[in-house]
Amino acid sequence: MSDSVLSGASRASETANNQKTGILKGNKVVSATLGVAIVLTILGIGLWVFQLWGGMLNTNMRNLSSWGLYIILFMLFVGLSAGGLIISSIPKVTGLGDFGGINKIAIWTSITCTLLAVGFVVVDLGSPWKVWELFAYANFSSPLMWDIIALSLYLIISIIYLWATLRYEKGKLSNTGMRALSAIALVAACAVHTVTAWIFGLQISHEFWYTALLGPWFISSALLSGLALVLIVVFALSKLGYVQIKRENILKMTKLLGVFTAIDLYFFACDLLTSGFVGGESAAVVTMLTQGPLALFFWFEIAVGVAAMFIAFVPKFRRNGAIVFASCVSILAILCKRIQLLIGGFQIPNIDYWSTTTGPHSVEYLGVPGGSLSSLIYAPSLLELGVAFGVVALGVAILIIGLHLLPLKPLKK
Amino acid sequence: MTRLGMVIDTFRCIGCHTCAMACKLENNLPNNNWWNRVLTVGGEDMDTPGGIYPNLSKKYFTLGCQHCTNPACTRVCPVGATYKREEDGVVFQDYDKCIGCRMCMAACPYTGVRNFNWEEPQYYVGIQTGSGGAPTHKKHTVEKCTLCAHRLARGEEPACCQDSICPGRARYFGDFDDPSSKVSQLLARYGGEQLLSDMQTEPNIYYIDSRGAGKDLSIANAYKEALNKTAGSEAVVASH
Ligand code: SF4
Ligand code: SF4
Repeated sequence: MSDSVLSGASRASETANNQKTGILKGNKVVSATLGVAIVLTILGIGLWVFQLWGGMLNTNMRNLSSWGLYIILFMLFVGLSAGGLIISSIPKVTGLGDFGGINKIAIWTSITCTLLAVGFVVVDLGSPWKVWELFAYANFSSPLMWDIIALSLYLIISIIYLWATLRYEKGKLSNTGMRALSAIALVAACAVHTVTAWIFGLQISHEFWYTALLGPWFISSALLSGLALVLIVVFALSKLGYVQIKRENILKMTKLLGVFTAIDLYFFACDLLTSGFVGGESAAVVTMLTQGPLALFFWFEIAVGVAAMFIAFVPKFRRNGAIVFASCVSILAILCKRIQLLIGGFQIPNIDYWSTTTGPHSVEYLGVPGGSLSSLIYAPSLLELGVAFGVVALGVAILIIGLHLLPLKPLKK
Repeated sequence: MTRLGMVIDTFRCIGCHTCAMACKLENNLPNNNWWNRVLTVGGEDMDTPGGIYPNLSKKYFTLGCQHCTNPACTRVCPVGATYKREEDGVVFQDYDKCIGCRMCMAACPYTGVRNFNWEEPQYYVGIQTGSGGAPTHKKHTVEKCTLCAHRLARGEEPACCQDSICPGRARYFGDFDDPSSKVSQLLARYGGEQLLSDMQTEPNIYYIDSRGAGKDLSIANAYKEALNKTAGSEAVVASH
């Protein structure tokens, strides 16, 4: 039975049950995690200050690979966020019931991920103290500007959505109102990830990026990674005893995980066929992914996708451990996809004569670009890894604090 | 309208890098920062020919910002720190505004023409070499060829296109919207190629091949005129 048929009164009566998970109280594991996360966050901030002070030369980004780990993770976290929100709003919008009251946790997880995405853009900036210029001198033809607007709106909408969900459970918001808001949140989540795709997909300068498919493909990846994240959080919380989710709902989500994996791989196949079929320079992208320096990431993504589908579709594999495994590796697979997309975009230069890419007159570089089979043009430096850990740790801290302070516990039916 | 740009004669270019050095000195470019580079078309390495003996071939061309009519970079800059100047078509860079997001570097199809100052600018020679009005470089901002905007402002041509710089006389600067300008005439005579013309950027740097132009009196006269002018001009940075 879904929430929507509960009368206002009965919903209200359930608020008597403490809605806070109170996750920090008397739980050493969670408290310790929070402590470690806070320490890592502080370390990360220290490293970030060092990066700004000592120069971004301490990262491994260079002129020919001008973005790196930060933007890879930015894409990943926008995806996790959008995916999480889409997963939690679809059942409400369609009126098909929900996944068992985990909405609030899913929304909070996605708010955390949005904050992380913003964090990764900030640490990537050369002069973050100039961000006010984004408002003062906004250039509306820039996809990056669109994304900043979309992300801000999306963040606001998610917060309103969370607040509205709480009101709804207290019986202070009508079912129609809730459904309308869910629909708005759903659209915003799709929009934000599509706009993120356009940062890359509208750049004619990079063979691998310039495709109309990128928007839908980002959405499919978002759905996959977002659902996987929700599954992981739900398992973690039920293990800790804070939520109880019906097996039936877990199975529904697991099957969806398989479907999303299939869709995502299908898009990848379409894209590779389109590049490879014409041959010539476009085919270099396919060679780079299948045999070149990015092959490890490519084949990992494919292998994991196949494994996740087995776990999702073959009933006897659907054990809890296997489902958690499938969820974790699905997020890793999407990470691998982001790595391929970002580094792959830079790997093949448009002008690769001597002096553009090598030698004393070259722009600085790390690996040797110039072909789909030469070494990786970029790999993160220790500093970048440290800063990235710091940002993620901040996310973990925000997630735990939110779960502790906000009334996010699922209603008991 | 003015549409400033350059014509580079790949037949006359001898790959000596003087223009690249002139640019580096004129604009006081920090270490590892090149706004204009000389590329060898031929073998794998600099100054090596391609092909198998005796059928070898080698050619040079120089690469810098193309000052595109439809720039990919200006469109994507979120704060308008890089923009196309309406009065002369120069694609300009505002170091104070640039927030260092490097969106423009991802958008520009011409590999490596945009440089980011990954550290506090350092100079091999330990002193600043730029001529009067040369830009002050800033850490964590993107920069690139400005067509020597500071020289244009005082009515001079870009440093790399000075008559005294290029020994092969392979570089010409001018206004493509003025049919009587030298660059327009060269284009009319030799056609002219744009780099990566499939990228929709409409570059304003054209590459010509003036093979056989030795007998061309108008060009020969232009060289003579140029030489005379150089002899009488004031001392120029890096002219040696
Ligand atoms: S060459 Fe690149 S940096 Fe220069 S105007 Fe064109 S797109 Fe912009
Ligand atoms: S790096 Fe600077 S010039 Fe380039 S897009 Fe960002 S703000 Fe604009």
